[in-house]
Amino acid sequence: MKRLIQLHVNGQAHDLVVDPARTLLDVLRDQLGLTGAKRGCGLGACGACTVLLDGRPAAACLTLALEAAGQEIVTIEGLAEGGALHPVQEAFVETGAVQCGFCTPGMVLSAKSLLERCPDPEPEEIRAALAGNVCRCTGYVKIIDAVSLAARRMRGAASGD
Amino acid sequence: MPEAALEYHAPESLDEALELLARCGPRAALLAGGTDVVPALKSGVLGKEHLVSLKRIREFRDIALGERGELRIGAFTPLDEIASSAAVRRHCAALAEAAGRAVSPLLRGRATLGGNLCLDTRCWYFNQSEAWRASRALCLKAGGERCWVNETRNTCVALFCAETPPALMVAGARVDVRGPAGARTIAVDALYSDDGLAPLRREAVEIVTTVVLPQSPPRWGSTYLKLATRDSIDFPLLGVAAGVQLDAEGRIAEARVALTGAKSAPFRLTQFESELRGGAVPDESERGESVARSIGMLYLSDDVPYKRRLAGLLAAEAVRRAAQNAKETA
Repeated sequence: MKRLIQLHVNGQAHDLVVDPARTLLDVLRDQLGLTGAKRGCGLGACGACTVLLDGRPAAACLTLALEAAGQEIVTIEGLAEGGALHPVQEAFVETGAVQCGFCTPGMVLSAKSLLERCPDPEPEEIRAALAGNVCRCTGYVKIIDAVSLAARRMRGAASGD
Repeated sequence: MPEAALEYHAPESLDEALELLARCGPRAALLAGGTDVVPALKSGVLGKEHLVSLKRIREFRDIALGERGELRIGAFTPLDEIASSAAVRRHCAALAEAAGRAVSPLLRGRATLGGNLCLDTRCWYFNQSEAWRASRALCLKAGGERCWVNETRNTCVALFCAETPPALMVAGARVDVRGPAGARTIAVDALYSDDGLAPLRREAVEIVTTVVLPQSPPRWGSTYLKLATRDSIDFPLLGVAAGVQLDAEGRIAEARVALTGAKSAPFRLTQFESELRGGAVPDESERGESVARSIGMLYLSDDVPYKRRLAGLLAAEAVRRAAQNAKETA
């Protein structure tokens, strides 16, 4: 039976009528038109559907929409502020860490969450944090470079350098 | 495709959840992290009319030391908290390692210990999309009349692949379960049926609430080793946990070794354990050949000799590493 729920997505509240079997990914893409989170494997293995739930990366394809009610949901569309890219996004562009772009929203959100928990990660920590996000074309070296660059810049900004 | 007419419930307390389960019985599935239930729902094989979400129940999410030195872990604790807990690592390194290798990094923040214990069995014929299944005959696990993987045997041979149960077995852990008749305790060793269709001996109206690891003995160490095609996101081809207690001379006083990914249940390698007892810690020449002989038939895999040999090698290596951990903690 369908339910009326409220989802908080990128700082906005949305009242929605949702079937219990619909995933958060279904609702984001099909009901809210937020197509940044991608439909990849559908099994939580590829990470293309990654969103942040209360700041932590989660697979939207394995999260029922009803389960996400009451949590703060951030998708890639919610990252840029006032037209300015988030430092992680900027670093991905500058280092060429994007090729087809299908995995990029998930990579960026996982990286953002990592840098909030751990502002100065070792490359090994970056690899571990992104191990649930699969890229099939760029390779991982530039992605790890991008996260390191973003970390340096965010630390610099935080310390006022 | 979503299942039609699914009812979702989000009880606020365990008692309320138990009442719902009692009312819905086997027509209800428990939803914890959802990393096993949601794929089954999406591929049309969940076969339930009710989902009882555990997300609003605030209890059973802690890791705490009990009065007798036992470690009590709430069943709704996410695997990443278990993997990163210093208390779990001190108490049973195998459990921290298994929790840190289970599912994928992305899912470990949601997947719970109780959910991992209660994971359904898997099979390459059963775990397919609805579209794939539409063009083929149903198997036993999907409600058909035959197993299409092992047609001669014709019982369900789906594999149990969860990673924390073997670690809990070597720690001698038990689970506290609540149901309509009250609470009961089940040793993790006795929780599994080895039936691919119904792998758990938990009743449909019961909820696993707490996992209890007894205080580990002195000079005891443990580890978990996993073999998988892809390191971060695969179910194990094989997973082995070992727990070893050394005596004062550094010989093996007691050993427990348990395997996952080989049958419809996790299981102890009791013959190997008894061979190890009282002996020296095996060196690199020990290749676990008796393990390969003792683990019985493996029905699902068509590369059985390879998997048997690997089970022996992994078991021997796990014992060496657990013994090393035991020395370091002595």
